[in-house]
Amino acid sequence: MSSVEKIKSELSALNAEYAKIKDLPPEERKNFGIEMNKKKALLEQKLKEAEEAVEDAEVAPVDETAPSAPNSEIPRFKLGSKHPLMTELNKVLSIYAHMGFNIMESRQLDDEFHMFESLNFPEGHPARDGYDTFRTAENFIPPAHTSTMQYRALRRFKDDLKNGGEIAVVIPGRVFRNEDADATHEHTFYQCEGVFVSKDATMGQMLGVLKNLFETYYGQKLNTKTQPGYFPFTEPSLEFLIEKPKSLGGKGDGWLEMLGCGMIHPNVLKTAGIDPEEYKGFAWGGGIDRLVMLKYGLTDIRYFESGSLKFLEEF
Amino acid sequence: MKISLNEIKKLVKIPENVSDEELIKLIGARLVEVEGSEDWSKKYQGIKIVRVETCEPIPDTHLHLCEINCGKKVQVVCGAPNVHAGMFAAWIAPGCIVPETFGTAEPFEIGSRKLRGYESSGMLAAADELALGEGHEGIIEIDPEMPGVKPGASFAEVFDLNDIILDIENKSLTHRPDCFGLIGFAREVAGILSVKFNEPEIDLNSNVKSELKIIIEDADLCARYSCAVLDFKDEPHFKYFTPDDVFLIKADMRPISKIVDITNIIMLKTGQPLHAFDYDKFVEVGEGKEPKIIVRAAKNGEKLELLDSKTIECDENDILITSNDVPVALAGAMGGKNTEIDDNTERVILESATFSLYHLRKTQMKHGIFSEAITRFTKGQPAGQTLGVLKEAVKALGTEPVELADCYENPVKVPDIEVSVSEINGLLGTNYDEKLIVKTLENVGLVCDGKEKLKVKIPYWRTDLHIKEDIIEEVGRLLGFDNIPLDFPTRPFIGAKEDKMLELKNRIRDILSDRLNAHEVLTYSFVSKALQEKFGEEPKDSYEIVNSISPELQCFRQSITPSLLEKFQENQKAGYKDFALYEINQVAKKSDGLNNEGVPVMKTNLALVTSGDFYQAKAFAVELLKELNVQADAKIQTVKNSTLRKFKLEGPVSYFEITLDDFLDALDEVKTKTLRFSRFPSVSRDITIKLDKNTPYGNVENALKGALEDTGLIYKIEPVSIYEPKENPENTKNLSFHITMSSSVKTLNGDEISDIMDGITSKTIKTVGGEII
Repeated sequence: MSSVEKIKSELSALNAEYAKIKDLPPEERKNFGIEMNKKKALLEQKLKEAEEAVEDAEVAPVDETAPSAPNSEIPRFKLGSKHPLMTELNKVLSIYAHMGFNIMESRQLDDEFHMFESLNFPEGHPARDGYDTFRTAENFIPPAHTSTMQYRALRRFKDDLKNGGEIAVVIPGRVFRNEDADATHEHTFYQCEGVFVSKDATMGQMLGVLKNLFETYYGQKLNTKTQPGYFPFTEPSLEFLIEKPKSLGGKGDGWLEMLGCGMIHPNVLKTAGIDPEEYKGFAWGGGIDRLVMLKYGLTDIRYFESGSLKFLEEF
Repeated sequence: MKISLNEIKKLVKIPENVSDEELIKLIGARLVEVEGSEDWSKKYQGIKIVRVETCEPIPDTHLHLCEINCGKKVQVVCGAPNVHAGMFAAWIAPGCIVPETFGTAEPFEIGSRKLRGYESSGMLAAADELALGEGHEGIIEIDPEMPGVKPGASFAEVFDLNDIILDIENKSLTHRPDCFGLIGFAREVAGILSVKFNEPEIDLNSNVKSELKIIIEDADLCARYSCAVLDFKDEPHFKYFTPDDVFLIKADMRPISKIVDITNIIMLKTGQPLHAFDYDKFVEVGEGKEPKIIVRAAKNGEKLELLDSKTIECDENDILITSNDVPVALAGAMGGKNTEIDDNTERVILESATFSLYHLRKTQMKHGIFSEAITRFTKGQPAGQTLGVLKEAVKALGTEPVELADCYENPVKVPDIEVSVSEINGLLGTNYDEKLIVKTLENVGLVCDGKEKLKVKIPYWRTDLHIKEDIIEEVGRLLGFDNIPLDFPTRPFIGAKEDKMLELKNRIRDILSDRLNAHEVLTYSFVSKALQEKFGEEPKDSYEIVNSISPELQCFRQSITPSLLEKFQENQKAGYKDFALYEINQVAKKSDGLNNEGVPVMKTNLALVTSGDFYQAKAFAVELLKELNVQADAKIQTVKNSTLRKFKLEGPVSYFEITLDDFLDALDEVKTKTLRFSRFPSVSRDITIKLDKNTPYGNVENALKGALEDTGLIYKIEPVSIYEPKENPENTKNLSFHITMSSSVKTLNGDEISDIMDGITSKTIKTVGGEII
């Protein structure tokens, strides 16, 4: 006898017993009724459960570790992917945007004036060699750094200064260097530039902003340090380093060179039509590729422009 | 550039509490990027200076059996031809590592072994085995007269090899010619340790009278030319291994001959390169009785054979040293063969000059000359030092000049720089007091005058200091940028402006990658002419890179699709079948012209390539534009068969490429989207229209749309199928649509729906013909 039938027969037995109520003395009938109703409710509940158990048992058993039932199609999602460089760049830009920086994209063909002259590189100066620039037959330059946009950024936002505000811009972009590609060098890569100008900008402010930027990006407190550098467009010029963050396996033992920075050279401000006696500024720029490589422990930079789905599907 | 820490310590007294490690750290933090350091202190451990007491040839071999004295007597077999009794040599004792292999993957430990039946302990070493040069023709011989040389003495101590060699990143010193000499470098080390630097005495007195003729045709090419005539016979480097050799080797140079070595040592100390000519050849070349030195720009096509026997062709940018107008040296780069010092040289002309760094930089690139000398010249060596350094060199050569000449017509005057204490603190964000600032500057020879407002006197070696910010940098750097208290700008809360293009790009990425499952790629902006031609583009319309890495990367791309087709093929080859790739990036072509800044017009394009025919790419475009809520003209294309073949693609493949700049403004206009749904139930019906197969689908859909529009209902039309029978004598096709409708005011009942459907179908048929089936 199945459990459903058994409960059903118990129920009918109970009903039969209930009929005995009329044989009882009136004062006992109430208690008897209550008692019987309780038993009945219990049995009915049991019956419902037993019936549902029978109903549900009709479904095939599930192997929770399998991707599908036997003889059925395996459910699949077709997934797209975003390029990790763009994703990381957006993450950086969003931190800047939260800090209140305007964003302005760089261009991929520029000229001598923006790339060098407006940045206080004297003509023919050996510092220009350091950038290994490509050139077109018309003497245009696929820029070797996003600083190529500094002059434009200063010009575009300079009215904000007159209105008592500041210039606060970041400039992401693709840049190019004439060097042979290997695991750690690419002729094509991404940078992000920052420019801040105000009446009282100081180097202390610059170091504070940069430290905060990387602490926000890595979500932890970081030790930072600097190293003297040389860029014609900043004076003083520095390299900015952070202690290798925990998320990258750092144990307080290594330093990472993250970007070059400095106080904007008065000639750069002057060229853009900003009085360096009245306004001071700082600027910095660093690579995006390196951030992604560090994050994923990627050892070959050439994957980024490989177009390989094998690589892209990981993101 | 290599810098020996021991040499620095000879010039600066390092405070006792500063360890080598800390010193290197400080140099890295406050002077220059230190790329690495090589600790030699263990490299020469156990190597001894020994005297060869006896030396007998071993019959029938090239070997000698030697008894050496290293404090006690030891027997060594030596194969060097120059081993002889009585000589002092370097002996690598058993148990020591051969320095040549020190720090490598396989360090070689010397032992004691039997050679041809003779016991041999350790080895007598040649220069290369000691990692002190390339010489292997014989073992090194040490001058017995040298201080400290005695049997058993430590080789490392006598030759100052317990040292640390720093590897300096030259690029971070581009503006500091002075730091390309040990004296300048040491001065900075003193500065960062807050120690006053004791300037070595160099006689800068420029009161020189000479009959020697020096003519500088253009002072912009050569600010100053000093030279000395000496009676001097050069000695090739052959006999003894000397501390000078070690000094040069530590700097990555090699000993050659007396005059070359001494001029190189002077250069390494002062940063000033020197060059020596054979006096008699110089005069002979110029066909005169006396040398007449003319410094001038080269003429186009002028030829000169250099010391390395290569003949170069000059252009007007090169600077030449000439003997009475006949070229004898490519200034700053290399001397000419015609005035080379040799065994017959009796007299030399020693040159100490400074040249235009801009010209030399081009010379360096054009002729591919990358010597230690030109590296220094291209930093712009100060004119102030040429004569003084020349006098030092003559002294070091142990002689007196027969003639000393100097041509310096427009002495460089470095103006004082005025800067106030508050300006310094204002830019750095510090609170340094005047006393500290003055002391810091004076430690490195920048003498200050005045209070609060400082007048800083610039010494001749600081060619890099011109404006007050330069002085502020010195203060910040020498006191440590890392000691500046961190701060934040004070500014109001003003929201950043949105960048429209960036926002659009990110929306597209969200739609294509996250919703439509395409893959975003990035490909190079440079492409080959061949690629452009394969795709049917005109390479001439591309901006061409004149110094491209390879023909593969020669043209700035006009569109993105060709690059994507290339990547598409690679992925097909890797086994991927149904997929879509897209890229958003900048493109340019000459025919688009220049913008108002005079630079090429750049466009931001989106290209998408997908497997499947025309309708596959179309589906992406339609869906994307619908999501973006803009009208844009996206030209969808199927890759032509010939193109498939050229790209080795498996078809069908389709694509579209659109210029995002074109509808940036349109995006602004349509900021909000009208939502079309009702709270009343919607009903759906399928209809199929059979009609002439040449009637475009769009006509039918538009007709249906028009009819639905007239009903005033909220509706949606979805295509279900397009069917064309195989046997098709009537030339018809069946178009099926799924229509969803609802009223915005009530629930539609059965009769109403039937009436509406009748109305819609009859209107549609009336417009496009055919019948409802």
